[in-house]
Amino acid sequence: MAERRPDRTLGGPNDAFWASCAKGELRLQRCADCARYSWPPVESCEHCQSGALSWEPMSGKGSIAGWCSFEQDYYGGILPVPYDTILVELEEGPLFLSNPDDFTWRDIKPGMAVELRFRECEDSAGGFSLPVFAKA
Amino acid sequence: MSGYGGAVEMPPASRTLGRRAAIVGVGESDFHDDYQAERTRPAGYRAPDLEALMERAFERALADSGLSRSDIDGLSLCCTYGGPEPADMARRLGLAPRYAEATGNIMAGPIPRITADIVDGKADVVAMIFGVTPRSGGRRYGGATFSAGLGPLSYYYYHPWGWSSQAAHWALMFSHYQAMYGAREEDLGAVAVQLREHARRNPNAIMQKPLTVEGYMASRYVVRPLHLLDICLVNDGAVCLIVSRAEFARGAARPPVLVAGWSHAAVKADKMQAMVRDRLRPILQDAGARALAMADVALSDVGHFEGYDASTIHLINQIEGFGFVAQGEGLEFCKSGGMGLGGRLPTNTCGGNLSASYMQGWSQVVETVRQLRGEAGPRQVAGLNVAMTALTQTSQAHPLIFVKGD
Repeated sequence: MAERRPDRTLGGPNDAFWASCAKGELRLQRCADCARYSWPPVESCEHCQSGALSWEPMSGKGSIAGWCSFEQDYYGGILPVPYDTILVELEEGPLFLSNPDDFTWRDIKPGMAVELRFRECEDSAGGFSLPVFAKA
Repeated sequence: MSGYGGAVEMPPASRTLGRRAAIVGVGESDFHDDYQAERTRPAGYRAPDLEALMERAFERALADSGLSRSDIDGLSLCCTYGGPEPADMARRLGLAPRYAEATGNIMAGPIPRITADIVDGKADVVAMIFGVTPRSGGRRYGGATFSAGLGPLSYYYYHPWGWSSQAAHWALMFSHYQAMYGAREEDLGAVAVQLREHARRNPNAIMQKPLTVEGYMASRYVVRPLHLLDICLVNDGAVCLIVSRAEFARGAARPPVLVAGWSHAAVKADKMQAMVRDRLRPILQDAGARALAMADVALSDVGHFEGYDASTIHLINQIEGFGFVAQGEGLEFCKSGGMGLGGRLPTNTCGGNLSASYMQGWSQVVETVRQLRGEAGPRQVAGLNVAMTALTQTSQAHPLIFVKGD
């Protein structure tokens, strides 16, 4: 059964991001002019404002750069507390905020290797695949 | 004209604007009493409304300045969550200013902006009034409160992963800091304890009970690794600063405090990197150096610092980022008393956002004025001539340098 989640931001380039996730791919925007990544989705490169962006597939490999665990319920019970969030440094460089799939903050060692998974979720706009990370 | 909603367009750091304006009056609402009343809600209690709070702060600042109502020829209002029409507020306060405007909100730009207006001849003496009522208004600082178009991207984009709130920003920073430097929660607790000690020397501070590291550790987690006492207060209140042309301030009722330097720097890209990994050091270094250069003082001249303590760890970001101490040494500096009265850099001496009042950077300026005047009573920093305040959020830094005038 799909897991309930707070609403995504949709529209414009966000839709392309979630469409990739639906195919089991994590793709981020990369600039053809300065070669840097932008995340979250943008209309033009966040570094050089170029409009020459393409959606590049990520390997799904990364390491933990930070974490925090919510004890306070900010979402009116949609997500039962406590729950954990992690900041993953993707192999390609960008920092990607996500959830741990098969571990908790207590298991985290600095720089711990993780790999991409998808979890079936739903919000008020419908079902979607949420990128999360498991121990590598 | 920016109104209440937008960022204030501030003039860039320039020596020609340094020491041209002085703060000659300060006033605040009753942070402690209003907070207690709002919590206990005695029978018949009604929280003072925004305009009443702003009026109270104004009357105190006016009395403090020794000026008369007719001396005030400019009115500048800053209300983060909306506020009165400036002309209506001027009437309410019995003022007939040459201009009355809604300048902005948090302490990110209004002082440079008003200084430039004074230098341009738009007014000689401006009453700047800030007011907010987030507590009685039930404002929440996380969750679905923020969505596209309402607040910075990092406040809403990560909703599907459940990541939101001010506290989450600081929590992510501290978990990274722990991994880098081996800091423990108890070490961070020293910051909350130090600021509470300061608050207990300020009768208008909201939090007056003694705090120990054990008491800090016993406070509930909001977002691990941060406890409730790592996060700033949320309260209603108002602050007024009366700012005058510097030459007009000579021989005023109180020693004038000169606005000597400022600057501003913002994170433009890679926000998570800037916030979590860099802990804003590049923008703090850049903005700090330019503000000091404008004021023509050195970092080592700064004898008192009022940082933006939205969180304990964020105060440490600023102490380290501006270069008062080396990277990774901020918590040891605090534990050894460096931020206390008598330490090398007395910091947030009125109790800060954590223990005194959360006035979005405005109370820090009031405390700086009191310290430079030598009127801080039991929390006075001895022999002070140069002080620094900083409005520092998750993606911008705005340091201000103040010096004692004559």
